[in-house]
Amino acid sequence: MTDPALPLAVRGLRKKYRRGVVLSDVSFDVHPGEAVALVGPNGAGKSTLIGCVTADRLPDRGEVRICGADPFREMAAAAACLGYVPEQPFLYPELSVAELLRFVAAARGLDGAESSAETARLLALLGLAGAEGTLCRELSQGMGRKTAIAAALLHQPRMIVLDEALNGLDRTSAERLVAELDARRARGAAVLISSHDLDFLARWCTRALHLPAPGSWRALEGGAWEAWRRAPTLVGVSDPRKS
Amino acid sequence: MAAAKNPCCNTDFTRDGFGRTEDVRCEALQPVSAPQQPSYTLRRSAWRRPLFGDARRAPYLGRPFRRITGPASTRPRTEPVHLLLRLELRRLADAFRHPRPAAWLAVVLPVALAAGALWTAADSVRPDVSTGDGVVLLGLLVAVPVGIQAYPILFRPADDAFLRRLGISTDALFGVRALRLLAFAVALSLGLMLPYVATGENAGRPLAVALAAGVATWAASLVAQGRAAADTVSGRKPSLMSQALGQGYDYELIAAGPLVYAPIWPAVAGAAAAGFAGSGVWPMPLRLALILAGSAALVPLGARAFARALPRFAPHAGELAYAPPPDASGGELVLGRGIASVLPRRAQAVRARDAVVIGRRYRWASRLAWPVAVVGALAVLRAGGSPGVRAWVTLACGAMLAAQAAAIVALGRSERGRTRWTDRTAGIRPAARFAGRWAAAFGLVLIVAMPMAAGWWIRGDGGAGWAWIAAAGVTALAAAGSSLAAAGR
Repeated sequence: MTDPALPLAVRGLRKKYRRGVVLSDVSFDVHPGEAVALVGPNGAGKSTLIGCVTADRLPDRGEVRICGADPFREMAAAAACLGYVPEQPFLYPELSVAELLRFVAAARGLDGAESSAETARLLALLGLAGAEGTLCRELSQGMGRKTAIAAALLHQPRMIVLDEALNGLDRTSAERLVAELDARRARGAAVLISSHDLDFLARWCTRALHLPAPGSWRALEGGAWEAWRRAPTLVGVSDPRKS
Repeated sequence: MAAAKNPCCNTDFTRDGFGRTEDVRCEALQPVSAPQQPSYTLRRSAWRRPLFGDARRAPYLGRPFRRITGPASTRPRTEPVHLLLRLELRRLADAFRHPRPAAWLAVVLPVALAAGALWTAADSVRPDVSTGDGVVLLGLLVAVPVGIQAYPILFRPADDAFLRRLGISTDALFGVRALRLLAFAVALSLGLMLPYVATGENAGRPLAVALAAGVATWAASLVAQGRAAADTVSGRKPSLMSQALGQGYDYELIAAGPLVYAPIWPAVAGAAAAGFAGSGVWPMPLRLALILAGSAALVPLGARAFARALPRFAPHAGELAYAPPPDASGGELVLGRGIASVLPRRAQAVRARDAVVIGRRYRWASRLAWPVAVVGALAVLRAGGSPGVRAWVTLACGAMLAAQAAAIVALGRSERGRTRWTDRTAGIRPAARFAGRWAAAFGLVLIVAMPMAAGWWIRGDGGAGWAWIAAAGVTALAAAGSSLAAAGR
């Protein structure tokens, strides 16, 4: 459970809202190099699960370890290992893209020269070249998301969590981001990704965690994963593209 | 392409991640990604004045940053308080770096209104610090807002989750937020000196009393809010006071009980500090020094309580705002009720929506107003002839009107880039939007103004009654204008 080599370990996670149990004893690991998909219909608990992993939601029970660190107790250690792009990322509206990324680099204690080079590389990768001086409040939704992605990847995290992070990205940027994630996975990083693009998840991920409804979940691994990949659908939700 | 297979890649090597059949294979994706070296020069203007450290050195520390060498490194961070303070300054300077009339209006108008009210009503709203009651009243005027604002400042900043995810230490977060609260306390104390300045009275003694109350409340709030937050997520059995708050059935309110009671003790401490500062025992500098020393002694306790509470409370805090789902029939949204029936149809729609949103999102603006207004009206009826009572009622109800105006402005701030767009696509013109918002705001502030007006009318002073109605109209007008200005484009 405390193996620091494991980018993410979740045990017995339970979360209940007033309306009922959303997560019930969820347990899974994410190993280095893996890309684990989080699939399920709206309201099934995907974002709640991600929130519990990233310490944005307080679980009622269970444990989370990011690189062996408890994100609720060892915030700094967990943060050093985690790169998270929320569905609705926060950006300081008063700062420009360059200022925001410089702040992130400084807050994470990154080497100035190296982080500048990495910032420039990520901005070019994501098609944000020329937007460094743009205030974050003036960014489009897609550009804002790209900025958040750059901020999340700047410190070479071992555990990358993406909550609908590909939404709103143009095709070229999305392809480049996927390539970048592949390169990082090759170097040992792991990815937990939530998306409604099931075809993409089926092709790109190595296995999945399926949340068909609030309070229920199942791991799609081995044969179940291969079967799901061939016809990726959400249980109980018809995919209009398949009909 | 005969490149070695990427062991992590799970694609079928004939399609890219988006299902296309281009020759964008997993191994070949590396060159597709952006160049490893920056292929362009960053705009110099964006980097000319490094905000958060030089590219090679961190000038505010005088030593270079070190790169994280291990993924889960727990090495000590480099003075993040300095970094956060620089960020704070940069954000505050935004209004000057990128001036926008709407932003200025949203800030300056309410401040100007409040300052104007304090200046013009100086004679009646100025506590007399030569008496013990006046000293304690001034202390409470500082202590209550500081005690209430402590929670949002300490635990609910918009960037809280972002900063925690960056690994900023709790000490640094506490330091910056404690400074914010202190700045608020000092600004409030200075603002309350306006009536003394306006009447030409020496503001030295009132300022000392107000600052003493502010600093004492500030320090007590740091401890009280930190402990309340820790208690909220401790899992311990709720206290009897918390259970009384939820009357045994509202478990979420019972769970949040410590936070509800948290501002009380700091307010009492502030009033007591004001009383001590304004008393005759020992010289004033000694009294102030004692209050400062006592407050300073509380700060480490507050830091400890904050550090203990934040990791578990911060994720929980967002859920405390949870409210039960409203009636699914939409029965609360009534068009054309009361004064709104004379408005154009679209303005009626805006009024109805704004009234419902304000009623749910800023429920306190109406819930707090009723008791203030009823007590004020009763005071007017019983002792409206006394200048002291009149001053107190004017101050309390005026403050309530200002708080309600703040709720209207906050509604506008929450709409940035969202609801206004919805209104535009629905064909609602700015005039209708303004009329609707004004009507909603007027309906809200009437909760205070009507009982006050009724009180004065019953006493036979019709002029004062109409003055309250006029004050409500003007407040609604200013609040609606500021709100729409705050909503932005």
